[in-house]
Amino acid sequence: MQNEHQPVLSVRNLKTNFFTDEGVVRAVDGASFDVHLGRTLGIVGESGCGKSVTALSILRIVPRPGRIVEGEILLRQETESGQSQEVALNSLGENSREMRSIRGAEIALVFQEPMTSLSPVHTIGNQIIGAARLHRQLSKQEARELVVELLGLVGIPRAETAVDSYPMQLSGGMRQRALIALALSCDPRILIADEPTTALDVTTQAQILDLLRSLQEQKGMAIMLITHDMGVIAEMADQVVVMYLGRVVEEGPVDTVFGESKHPYTQSLLRSIPSIHSTPKVQLPTITGTIPHPYNRPAGCPFHPRCPDVIPGVCDKHEPELHSVGDEHQVSCFLYHPVPETSP
Amino acid sequence: MENEQVLLEVKGLQKFFPIRKGFWQRVVGQVRAVDGIDFHVYKGETFGIVGESGCGKTTASRCIVRALQPTAGEIRFRTDDGAMIDIANLSRDELQPLRRQMQMIFQDPFSSLNPRMTLFDIIGEPLLVNGMANRGQRIERVEELLGLVGLRPEFLQRFPHAFSGGQRQRIGIARALALNPSLIVADEPVSALDVSVQAQILNLLLELQGRLGLTYLFVAHDLSVVKHICDRVAVMYVGRVVETAATQQLFESPQHPYTEALLSAVPQPDPSLRSQRIILEGEVADPADPPSGCYFHPRCRYAVDLCREQTPELEEVAPGHAVSCHRALELDLSGTLDAPVPQAMHS
Repeated sequence: MQNEHQPVLSVRNLKTNFFTDEGVVRAVDGASFDVHLGRTLGIVGESGCGKSVTALSILRIVPRPGRIVEGEILLRQETESGQSQEVALNSLGENSREMRSIRGAEIALVFQEPMTSLSPVHTIGNQIIGAARLHRQLSKQEARELVVELLGLVGIPRAETAVDSYPMQLSGGMRQRALIALALSCDPRILIADEPTTALDVTTQAQILDLLRSLQEQKGMAIMLITHDMGVIAEMADQVVVMYLGRVVEEGPVDTVFGESKHPYTQSLLRSIPSIHSTPKVQLPTITGTIPHPYNRPAGCPFHPRCPDVIPGVCDKHEPELHSVGDEHQVSCFLYHPVPETSP
Repeated sequence: MENEQVLLEVKGLQKFFPIRKGFWQRVVGQVRAVDGIDFHVYKGETFGIVGESGCGKTTASRCIVRALQPTAGEIRFRTDDGAMIDIANLSRDELQPLRRQMQMIFQDPFSSLNPRMTLFDIIGEPLLVNGMANRGQRIERVEELLGLVGLRPEFLQRFPHAFSGGQRQRIGIARALALNPSLIVADEPVSALDVSVQAQILNLLLELQGRLGLTYLFVAHDLSVVKHICDRVAVMYVGRVVETAATQQLFESPQHPYTEALLSAVPQPDPSLRSQRIILEGEVADPADPPSGCYFHPRCRYAVDLCREQTPELEEVAPGHAVSCHRALELDLSGTLDAPVPQAMHS
């Protein structure tokens, strides 16, 4: 049995850059967080904050010209003798045997687009059978039985016939369920869900979130939920990581991040969402300006040009780092930690 | 509402799309995208149409601006000179003078602007088409419009690719305002934008409404946004309006089980409200082959035999609050405002 307090996956100071002709894009710029079994880590941020690239980096499927330039991704595995060991995924080759056996089997990914991430010319069943037989010793018949069971588990009605249907015969919600079944086919310990409900309607979204929660209860897996929707995060996550332009700006337990957020970005983001409970027809507090283009990333703290509490001469010169401000609560902002004396 | 003048009245609007099959393209069925809806919009208010994908909200809005020819029904619109005209069956030429009084804002700011046209061409085109031939006058008006939507007049000769999503949506709004319309039909105007930018556009829409006395027909799926901006709301399900009421009333005491489920499904940005959500079983009915009786009955947890057999009519249960449900008066449904008001967020 694994130590409950030990994270199953640790990401330390991850930096993933894209080396394009126009310049270097620092898509992920020093992200650190832990993922625990049986718990849900929510990664939230607006477009371009690097949340999806973080997921791709963990699975080592960053598309060219992107590359992990720094940092560690540590996966805790159990050896046959029952001892646990850490595997540094960042040092494995992208196409190495070890990485291929981890990808899909230990860490599975559910994509955003249920319309485009399934092959249109293969039946749902064949796609899942193919994935399952890659990682497990199963006969075709056994694999098919497993798939029927999985499709039932994710709530697809009439699973015996649904196995032989093509993706286009299913609705968006059913396709997302099929994708989740595909991800679960090898019993992963970590499920990364990248915007799993963004393309779905609210009532379908409620169904899928409910499904993810009950699957986690049954299987005890860790879920890394990536989304831009603060509502989904509040509903699902135990631990929250807020990202902005590739950097983690705030990290902590969900109640703390929503209740006592410290970083000006988190605070203004939460204030700018119209809520069912807020006063209608009043001007919403906004964040001035727009998200900078990744080529023109501001110096110092990337949020300083839009920040209401900017300290001139400090925020535009130095890059803040994550500092603890409470129980498991970390913020990277000069309002909460001293300014470095010497410039780096 | 102080001024209770009706600007737009929709009666029994239907839009069916034929399903064609085979070599001869025979019509084998109809998709009942909009299946007889009624509502009216007062001058100066924001009227929201909400519903999930496939409920017909976009088709309805397109019929109203006559981008689509409705199958049946009346669309009565109050023109600038005060007369109510049924525009559902007007010809192209007859519509021409009315078009400038109703304009559209689109969902996707990336595909709704021509990448080869400058801002001056994009925003000035409706002016040119409607007879403002003098270039100097057009430049003046476009600069004025850019200022109105919070863009700098120097942007006149730039192309859309130089702008972010939020700025592009502002350009789309400026184009819609160019001809001083009285009705703006906004189809999901903020759903493609980032959260921090979404708030800016919502503020702009509210501000413009206050300044120019605009009337909005606001089509959206995001209930929090609708709650924020709309005065009255119609909820659609499979081509029909199931409930219409003043926003506050709808959110406080929904009368239709679908509205109740829809409201409870919205995730709230507050972890203390991890609510007892109503998870609807099954899927949205197929508008090409709708179920018998009430279209919602296969998913409704309150359904009785009557719901399977008889189609409910939209009936008023309280002043300004109409519901199409057989059991509307006996059910006690919960709204979203019963939940405790979050303390942390807006302190």
